[in-house]
Amino acid sequence: MNEQEAIFWWQRWLGTWCRRIVAVLLLLVIAIGLYLLQRFGTDRPVVYESAADHFKYGSTGGERESGFPYLVWKVLPDLCAEQLPGKGYQSLGMLFEGDRDLPVGMSKRRVTGMDRVFLNCSVCHTSTVREKPGGEPVLMLGMPANRFNVMAFQKFIFSCVGSNHFTPEYVIAGIEGQGNKLDLLDRYLVYPLAVYLMQDRIRMLAERFRFADSQAPWGPGRVDTFNFAKAIFNFPADKLVPAELAGVSDFPSIWLQRPRKVADMQLHWDGNNHRVEERNLSAAFGTGATPPTVDHDALARVEDWLLDLSPPPYPYPVDAVRAKRGKVIYDKYCAGCHGRNGKDFSGEQVGKVTPIAQIGTDRGRLDSYTYELAVNQGQLYAGYEKYRFRNFRKTYGYANMPLDGLWLRAPYLHNGSVPTLRDQLEPVAQRPKVFHRGYDVYDPVRLGFVSGVAREGEQAFYRFDTTVRGNSNRGHEGSAYGTALPANDKDALVEYLKTF
Amino acid sequence: MNVTPVDMNKLRKIRWIALAIGAILLSGAVFAWFKFFREVPQPPFASAEERFKYGSLGGEQEAGIPYWVFVVLPRMFPEHLPGPGGYASLGIAWEQGHDLPIGFPKKTVGFERVGNNCAVCHTASYRASADENPTYVIAAPGHTTNVQAFFRFIVACAKDPRFTPDNVMREIALLYDLSLVDRLLYRFAIIPIVKQRLLERESQFAWMNRHGMPDWGRGRDDPMNLTKYFMLGRKEDGSYGPADMPSIWNLDKYRDGMTMNWDGASWDPRSVLVDSALGIVIKPQHDFEEQMQWLESFLRKRPPPTYPFAVDEKLAAGGSKVFDDQCASCHRSGRTGKPVPLAEIGTDRNRIESWNKQAAIDGNKVVASLGVTRRGLVEQDLVGYIAAHLDGIWLRGPYLHNGAVMNLRELLEPAASRTKLFFRGYDVYDQVNMGFVATGAEAERRGSRFDTAARGNGNAGHEYGTALSAEHKRALIEYLKTL
Repeated sequence: MNEQEAIFWWQRWLGTWCRRIVAVLLLLVIAIGLYLLQRFGTDRPVVYESAADHFKYGSTGGERESGFPYLVWKVLPDLCAEQLPGKGYQSLGMLFEGDRDLPVGMSKRRVTGMDRVFLNCSVCHTSTVREKPGGEPVLMLGMPANRFNVMAFQKFIFSCVGSNHFTPEYVIAGIEGQGNKLDLLDRYLVYPLAVYLMQDRIRMLAERFRFADSQAPWGPGRVDTFNFAKAIFNFPADKLVPAELAGVSDFPSIWLQRPRKVADMQLHWDGNNHRVEERNLSAAFGTGATPPTVDHDALARVEDWLLDLSPPPYPYPVDAVRAKRGKVIYDKYCAGCHGRNGKDFSGEQVGKVTPIAQIGTDRGRLDSYTYELAVNQGQLYAGYEKYRFRNFRKTYGYANMPLDGLWLRAPYLHNGSVPTLRDQLEPVAQRPKVFHRGYDVYDPVRLGFVSGVAREGEQAFYRFDTTVRGNSNRGHEGSAYGTALPANDKDALVEYLKTF
Repeated sequence: MNVTPVDMNKLRKIRWIALAIGAILLSGAVFAWFKFFREVPQPPFASAEERFKYGSLGGEQEAGIPYWVFVVLPRMFPEHLPGPGGYASLGIAWEQGHDLPIGFPKKTVGFERVGNNCAVCHTASYRASADENPTYVIAAPGHTTNVQAFFRFIVACAKDPRFTPDNVMREIALLYDLSLVDRLLYRFAIIPIVKQRLLERESQFAWMNRHGMPDWGRGRDDPMNLTKYFMLGRKEDGSYGPADMPSIWNLDKYRDGMTMNWDGASWDPRSVLVDSALGIVIKPQHDFEEQMQWLESFLRKRPPPTYPFAVDEKLAAGGSKVFDDQCASCHRSGRTGKPVPLAEIGTDRNRIESWNKQAAIDGNKVVASLGVTRRGLVEQDLVGYIAAHLDGIWLRGPYLHNGAVMNLRELLEPAASRTKLFFRGYDVYDQVNMGFVATGAEAERRGSRFDTAARGNGNAGHEYGTALSAEHKRALIEYLKTL
């Protein structure tokens, strides 16, 4: 081709072989670049049609920053089997539906060239109920995750990823041993790198979560929310005073957020925030979502759904006559602080904080939340003016909660120190000092989960000792709190509360 | 001269190239100005109080720390702070719901920067009990603030080997998604420059860390040495003059013939404001005079806070007579606001000895050279401490210029029986003894240990009213609550 024949500039430019080779290489580089961009630039969660499935398995964006590579997650229980209390993640209290390979509360997203998985809201806010030991567990969305043991989960991850077995050699062999085929890039680059990055990240988290090292095992259904929050700011754990370190308390139920929002109730056990959206974003840190990585749309979908999600009605018989008698007692003693009933939360003191001296329950959770933490939280979501936290406030008591779905919210009090509602109506001296929690068989007489059983088959339940710091079952006691009522009045009250 | 067509072409080409280079340079300059120097006024404040708490004095330009660096430092280096709580562990007043503490204004000069203003040292915190949130009072002595620990923290961060652009960027990435351009600027320009600037402070603060100089502790600084070494660049002279942060409300009370500061080293409110502000601003910006004007008019009229707890009016009325008898001759008389000779008052001499006439002369020259006009420092030898006005005295504990007496009740005791070891900077108020709770587990945990035997901390002197009956003392204290 000579210059006369060339029509376009590039035809002239491609006149020599050397240039042709350069052009081919250039195209190749572009093609490879596009391939890599597609492979590593993809950011796509697994999405679900129904809101309930989205709640159970949908992403909050947490996988982007904190997600485990899915294939590594699958390998960990094999790799560190001896570090689990039983078989698989089930032994940590995670719930698996049917033949799904991810538990309730775990979402998946394709990001950074891998499928990555991490926890979502439902891991702490879903559990099961059984009528009797042999029965089929029924999944209840939005109730406290009475079986999930966060501390054991965390310890397992930290110790496994920190162990000698967590190396590319073991992990990749494990992945392939489960029948997965890794391509060259994954085998020699992506997964070895992922292993090292996980080690690095877990080292950092283990350092920041050191506060838990000094604490007694939390047991299932409980978490030290605001000492975790201090880890966001890297407050040095060794300088926290003992009074701050007894903050372990129960997961709450999360139904019917709209009436709470409309009435501007103080949320969290100590009522430290009155904004539903801010409370949710704060909780989303627990799902691994940082301000730059949170998926606001996905979170909003959960948030909207929870506005009107009602608790499942009590499934066992209710003695209507007795309940009617109980209503009279409830209206007299309880309604002012806890709302008119399980749906109508109106009442003078509902959603407000009762000073600690008055309510008299264990101070641990209250003292775990400090003024220093509250002011630092004002920096969360800084730079994102729409979302920046403005509403955290240190309080000096516990908030009066509405009682929707109360039957599923056992054990009672913020620290779950009273196994059943009937026990809650007893004076402190007569409440059980030691009981077991984590069992999902229901006790329809005393209203709560069966707490006198230490184990079922392979699974041992957690022995809750009310003398451990932070576990006291004191408070919410006295004639104003119904603990001085005659026994049959208490029974009637319990009967009525089944309808909530 | 003839120009051939070839030359014409060349010339045209050169012209185009020059134009292109010019355009590139110009846009580069505009970009650099925009990203580093563009000054964005702070959003308007809802009230004068808010402006006092969060308004910039212009110090961000010269001494500001980039916002994102400021935010991540406590998370990266918590071990360099006195305790858990980030900046809150320094005792700095910090309102809930705000991203920055009081006294730390945020302003964009190219990028967002965090500076300081008067409120950092002049906001007091008090609570009726431990089970209550603090109430902040502006223009009051910042008795909880540990300024020295803040200075040390900043330097310790800069010196820490982990203070690298990579590590700082990694921490920022957990909080905020900076744009690509900003990420590059932070990594390659802002963070290295900040590190350099903060490291320079180490040598500037070396005098503060000399052997034998006790820590200032919460609520105090070494004001005249700060002036001597920072503003005047003097050589260390071995003096140490720790003093309490003063209240700065109601400045209208300083009238002709009175001088200001603990030792009467300054002529008038404007001089004190200017000299203090220069310590924060370093280089006065274009709006400096306007800022000083606003501050002066605000603080002149700012009333002292009234005592927020119950007062026994009858008892106080009796105390009023005791006051007239015992205290008024200095604290409500022609002597008020004027120096009492050291030999007469007998309090700790270190603060006086940290200043002198020559320093005042030099100081006035330096400020004049910055183009700022004010009446200035008193170019005389200082004889003693000022007989203080007692407005809002309830919130001004601990007492004496060096805060060596933990409450007013003790100030009415002979020096020998005043508490020798206590903790200052805890904010629960002691309504019986008038002052802050300064002993006990919580005071110990939150406060700084104060040993009256340490240099500069002497609690001798001002032995007035010490022979009064217990009843009269009680009445006097009740009356003092009403001032």
